[in-house]
Amino acid sequence: MADKTGYMENATPALELQDLRKTFPADGGRISAVDGIDLAVMAGEIVALLGPNGAGKTTTIDMALGLTAPSSGTVSVFGQRPETAVRAGRMSALLQTGGLLRDLTVQETVLAIASLHGAKARVEEVMAATDTTRLARRKVVKCSGGEQQRLKFALALLPDPDILILDEPTAGMDVNARRDFWATMRRDATAGRTVIFATHYLEEAESFAQRIVLMNGGKIIADGSTSSVRALAAGRTVAATLQERGSIDDRDPRLAELRSLAGVTDVQVNGTRVAITTTDSDAVARHLLNGGGGSALEISAPSLESAFVRMTRDTHPAAPPAPSADTVGA
Amino acid sequence: MNATFVRIDLTRQLRDVMNLMFVLVLPTLMYVIFGLSFSYANESAGNGNVKFYIMASMAAYGASVAATTVTGVSAVEQMQGWGRQIGLTPLRPAGFVAGKAVVALVVTALSIAVVFIVGALTGAHADHGWMWAATFAIALAGSILFALFGYAIAMLFKSESAMGIASGLLVVLSFLGNVFVPLSGTLLDVARFTPMYGFVGLVRWPILEGAQSGSADVDPLWGLVANLVAWLLIFGIVAVLAVRRGRTRR
Repeated sequence: MADKTGYMENATPALELQDLRKTFPADGGRISAVDGIDLAVMAGEIVALLGPNGAGKTTTIDMALGLTAPSSGTVSVFGQRPETAVRAGRMSALLQTGGLLRDLTVQETVLAIASLHGAKARVEEVMAATDTTRLARRKVVKCSGGEQQRLKFALALLPDPDILILDEPTAGMDVNARRDFWATMRRDATAGRTVIFATHYLEEAESFAQRIVLMNGGKIIADGSTSSVRALAAGRTVAATLQERGSIDDRDPRLAELRSLAGVTDVQVNGTRVAITTTDSDAVARHLLNGGGGSALEISAPSLESAFVRMTRDTHPAAPPAPSADTVGA
Repeated sequence: MNATFVRIDLTRQLRDVMNLMFVLVLPTLMYVIFGLSFSYANESAGNGNVKFYIMASMAAYGASVAATTVTGVSAVEQMQGWGRQIGLTPLRPAGFVAGKAVVALVVTALSIAVVFIVGALTGAHADHGWMWAATFAIALAGSILFALFGYAIAMLFKSESAMGIASGLLVVLSFLGNVFVPLSGTLLDVARFTPMYGFVGLVRWPILEGAQSGSADVDPLWGLVANLVAWLLIFGIVAVLAVRRGRTRR
């Protein structure tokens, strides 16, 4: 490329995963936890890795950090091996499970890890930034789940990394603790860092990330800007009863009529009721009430969650549809 | 290795009440009970007196508990996520092991030292001054066997209950290994093949030179060394196999 503006350095992705796979032995065979992931994250991006439990998020993160060796595929961090980036302090992480010694105090934990990074000078600053200074003398075992996560967050900030990876940082926190955590994050942590965080809370992904990577079954099923992923959930759902008893026949001509309406993207049958996803809910409602055979109408705006449920269901045809507050039940 | 990291780890070990009870207090208490409350305590035994013999035995037991605890607890913590946390720092595994070795040595040395100090204050006697240093050094060096033992048990059972199992086993092995109560006859024949036997026999070598308190048999030095080396190999191999099994399971 004839790029003369000096962007070549920036053109190397901060993190690049190529055809990454990981299989584990199970029941005589092997199960695939990560099944061919390609992902490039540019410097400064804030990316949410969104997916249900078992989607392969943690395994992907472990491989990105060099904690687990991939079965095949490559990981590169600023063009280097992940271990090299971790040892140089360019990449660090808040890991999901454990990771703390219960009988150390908060201060001792930070100091111990800081000494390994040669970053003792940053202890005070990092503890202030993560609001752990007032916990300094408390034993880890006496800290709440949210406080322990903040401590782990402090440990992740110690090397002043360029890439920060957070594996479900707010798992097990109540709503207030979650809000506090993200407020801290917004205030101090990003500052030009590349941030990749795994979560199964949609609102966290929506409100904090610029880009959402949706994972399910070890694969990436959607990858785009937060607004484009949110667009997946555009439109309304109109639900109505089509008959009093039994269940609606798939070949019912009324379903074909509904599908043919302008703006309709999906028609789901649920017993005696039908749920229509559409960009023009007024037209669908009018049709159903004016001779379309519908009664007991409900119109709702689906959240990202229902889009998410629909997409993860589509890639797992055998799984039963997950119930959701937004898709109307009978 | 990193001085701050080692210092914090050491502080942590030394304020753990359970640790202190089993590593520092219990061996000393057992010396006091077995060593001071009997009429024969001041009689001579080998190159010293009975008190020195019992002091050396309890120091050996304390050293085995200390080494087992430090490495065993460390292995359990590694499995519970601390290893992953350390894996995100520049500290290499060799540096981590070296740091733990220092901590284990210090805690073990303290455990032996407490028994020795109480022994010295209560009339344990050796014919030569160097016997104190030699007994101390042999107990400290031989405790590496139990560092491996603690690690192997932790890797096999993979939970905090591993430490309970290890301490219980140590008590049984100490009885079987001629540490607490002098054995004789068939029990002594069996004892020669158990892991504590070679270790404690070597710790007592300066005072007894292989003689037994419960039997007229005299153990040759090579027999005690062979026992220690064989168990070093066995626990070492078990530890390596357990680590491999743990890896393939993940």
